[in-house]
Amino acid sequence: MMDELELLKKDWKSKEDVFAKLSHEQIYPMLLKKSSSIVRWIFYISILEFMLPHLLYLFPSVRNSMQVYEDMGLKSVFIALTVIQYAVVLYFIYRFYKRYKEISVLDDAKKLLSTILKTRRTVKHYVIFCLTLIVVSFVVFMISIYLNDNFVENFNLGEKAKNIAPEKLKQTVLLLIGALGFLLTLFMGAFYFLLYGLLIGKLKKNYKELQQLEV
Amino acid sequence: MTKELEHRFVTELGNNQNIVHKVCTLYTNDKDSHQDLFQEITIQLWQAYPKFRGESKFSTWMYRVALNTAITLYRKTKRNVSTIDNDAILFKIKADEYDETEEQQLKLLYNAIKQLGDIEKALLFLYLEEKNYTEIAETLGITEVNVRVKMNRIKNKLRTILNP
Repeated sequence: MMDELELLKKDWKSKEDVFAKLSHEQIYPMLLKKSSSIVRWIFYISILEFMLPHLLYLFPSVRNSMQVYEDMGLKSVFIALTVIQYAVVLYFIYRFYKRYKEISVLDDAKKLLSTILKTRRTVKHYVIFCLTLIVVSFVVFMISIYLNDNFVENFNLGEKAKNIAPEKLKQTVLLLIGALGFLLTLFMGAFYFLLYGLLIGKLKKNYKELQQLEV
Repeated sequence: MTKELEHRFVTELGNNQNIVHKVCTLYTNDKDSHQDLFQEITIQLWQAYPKFRGESKFSTWMYRVALNTAITLYRKTKRNVSTIDNDAILFKIKADEYDETEEQQLKLLYNAIKQLGDIEKALLFLYLEEKNYTEIAETLGITEVNVRVKMNRIKNKLRTILNP
């Protein structure tokens, strides 16, 4: 084997001139092109992920639920949750930005991989936080419906649901909201973890390989 | 000033472009990807260039950026599966009628190298470029002992691929 590697080394050195040499005129335009590196992708997709939970407010039904919260006496809970949410979002964005800035192509391979993975981990924690928040708000919502005796009026269901027994109606609404919350969490979770896997699969593999060396 | 910097950079890259080409050959399977990776490495080098203080040789500095780009930053576009399959078939036939000519051996070796992992390729690349273990360790961020261990594993792996 040693001989073969020596042979390879010799051949490798003789390979200097097999590549089509690029002229200066060919290199100049390259400097102006935009990078399509994984770090750039991670940056844009992370921004998207930071925004996604907030885009939900664009749906009229989500916006209108504010009124429902108010009618059900949950306004203060809702406001508290919102304040916490934004405080945490700001914290996450700050951390993300700080870590993102630490990524340097001049570090050694292991350090570079580790900073990128850390940056991405910040986003992962953020998404888990958002998913939890969604679940919690749905649960709070469901509990308050369960405990609410006037919920038919609060939901303005009086007209549409005249012929249904209130208890049955309550059950159906609870079930629907539960299903909606479950699907929403599932959808966002799947969206996120798919992207996560796609983005850092290769990095994780390489980082693991470098780490395994350290035993 | 920028123009001057640009000129200096392009000249240095032009003179050392073989390093980048070799990395591209190692990490890609077709011409388009080769160009893609070359482009990305050039961008990374250019963006980092203002931080290059000339403490080390330009080429030494290039190894690090080029390998980091290949191992970490480069997003592998469509992996050409059919090419890999063809290679494997080719490799089998070649192995059957194995003769001792150097050219045959080299072909087999290069095919075998294509099957190594990203990190293993980086190690082998630096080894072939006659970097010492200290430099390899610094570039990859591992200890020298581990470079030695890993190098032996790569040799074994190549041996297994060549003599199944």
